[in-house]
Amino acid sequence: MQRSSVFDRLTERASRMVAQRTSRRSLLARIGTVIVGGAVLPILPVDRTGRTRKAHAEEFVKTAQTTDPTQCNYWRYCAIDGYMCSCCGGGPSTCPPGTYPSPSSWVGTCINPDDGQAYLIAYRDCCGKDSCGQCACLATEGEMPVYRPQLNNDIVWCFGAPSMVYHCSSAALIGKA
Amino acid sequence: MAGTIRYGFGALLMAGLLAAGSIPSRAQERDTKGLPEEAVLDVAEEHTTAVLPEASPHWLYVLDPVFPHLVASKVYVIDGDSMKYLGMLNTGYVPNMALAPDRSEIYVAETYYSRGTRGERVDVVTFYDAKTLEPTGEVELPDGRFLVVPKKPNAVTTPDGRYLLSFNMEPATSVDIVDLEAKRYLGAVEVPGCSLIFPTGDRSFSMLCPDGSLLDVRFDESGAAEIRDNEPFFDSEADPVFEHAVVSTGSGRAFFLSYEGVVYEAALGEGAMRIEGQWSLLTEEDRAEKWRPGGWQLMAYHPSTNRLFVLMHEGDRWTHKEAGEEVWVFDVKAKKRVARVPLEHPAISVSITQDEQPLLFTLSEAASVSVFDGTDFSLRGTIEGVGDSPFLMYVQGE
Repeated sequence: MQRSSVFDRLTERASRMVAQRTSRRSLLARIGTVIVGGAVLPILPVDRTGRTRKAHAEEFVKTAQTTDPTQCNYWRYCAIDGYMCSCCGGGPSTCPPGTYPSPSSWVGTCINPDDGQAYLIAYRDCCGKDSCGQCACLATEGEMPVYRPQLNNDIVWCFGAPSMVYHCSSAALIGKA
Repeated sequence: MAGTIRYGFGALLMAGLLAAGSIPSRAQERDTKGLPEEAVLDVAEEHTTAVLPEASPHWLYVLDPVFPHLVASKVYVIDGDSMKYLGMLNTGYVPNMALAPDRSEIYVAETYYSRGTRGERVDVVTFYDAKTLEPTGEVELPDGRFLVVPKKPNAVTTPDGRYLLSFNMEPATSVDIVDLEAKRYLGAVEVPGCSLIFPTGDRSFSMLCPDGSLLDVRFDESGAAEIRDNEPFFDSEADPVFEHAVVSTGSGRAFFLSYEGVVYEAALGEGAMRIEGQWSLLTEEDRAEKWRPGGWQLMAYHPSTNRLFVLMHEGDRWTHKEAGEEVWVFDVKAKKRVARVPLEHPAISVSITQDEQPLLFTLSEAASVSVFDGTDFSLRGTIEGVGDSPFLMYVQGE
């Protein structure tokens, strides 16, 4: 049974109590503010071993295209959920004006129909304004429930961005799977 | 009476007022101080505010995150018998709600920004009087809450109604505990990467973990907690279970359903959940026709008849969010399907009232609610236009 590298379970029997009066949110918010300057975005560690999920992407690629990112069958959108940033003044790896790419994201694997290769896609949300409202798409290739958060697309992936308000979904290329 | 009945909110209210005559209400005092005598006119009727009676088991609460403007969401209260609106709540950013077991209150875990979509963030649990639908107070969640398209197991009350448990992922995971009686924040239980909350007792709950196991958590009134992990009971890579499991604390049972249609039965007891067995929803013929479960809140349970209701569609793997074409009804004891209810409006969520003459509700992708008799599954009607993007349904006594 494979264990997630990021959310590895610990075995605990000790009592744990956290009665906090201060917000723990502030650390990530501060990281987000620093990153927004436009530098290379770090992402949470991704476990690539055994996760090519090539088989799962094979359905979507049958009707996918590589030229128009405003359409739901754009090849990178095989597991996207939300409004496409390409329809909102942004692009697959560009956030619309006044919104911020999240340093964290979940990761899917999509096949590019032009070369038949599988690629890792970071589904980072653009955050800081309310819903764009254009081009709603939902695909669920290889998508898992929230207890496998790295592979879930319902989560508001704005952790580390200056705001947790969801605006649109992007699909940035990480590299070959 | 089958068929589609179209209700606009305003038309509904008007029809109700004119037809019903008197609605339980409170009269507003008319303030005529300082007005000249000739300005004070007799009125034909008082203008009042409706007050709801005690919640009926047939009432339906629909939570709509409102995708076009997620920061301002809604909860609709609908009378399942008359299929009329009873009222609504305005709620914040991707909220979660829970009904008090004694029907007196509604709790909403929600998030607000000081300037609507920006500014200072605050997360709260808001208390509502269940009859006046007015907020009566709030408790702040100092560490925030899980922001996600709303799922029922994000916020639940303990069976005795004393506490509200709110799941948080920041991305570190924890469960916040709110004392509903004292109206104060008790504390947070940090949990090792497991998610969602399934109550197992008055001071205990279980969570789902990435490796396919349950985490059992017990807490006490001081906020101290004890955590116990277990061996995996499902393969989280090959056949994960849906988040919307059903827990019936009243009957001490819970059911988890996997993407491939396997039901895992669990027994609740001693602050834990124990998996007792599993069976498949699907026959060989069903599999050949590619039937599989799918949707959002895709499973419901009726304890006294021991029946499961599951939204099913024909599709390949990875269509787990596809709307159901049918509701399949299963006798849990016999582990067999006993009915198929075809849906004119493919549904993402299903709910069954918990009383002896139940109503079955389905919520469609196109924001309609269909109401069926919960015993013979005849269609009573469909309410169109229930918000923008409703996802969750709540009924009393779950």
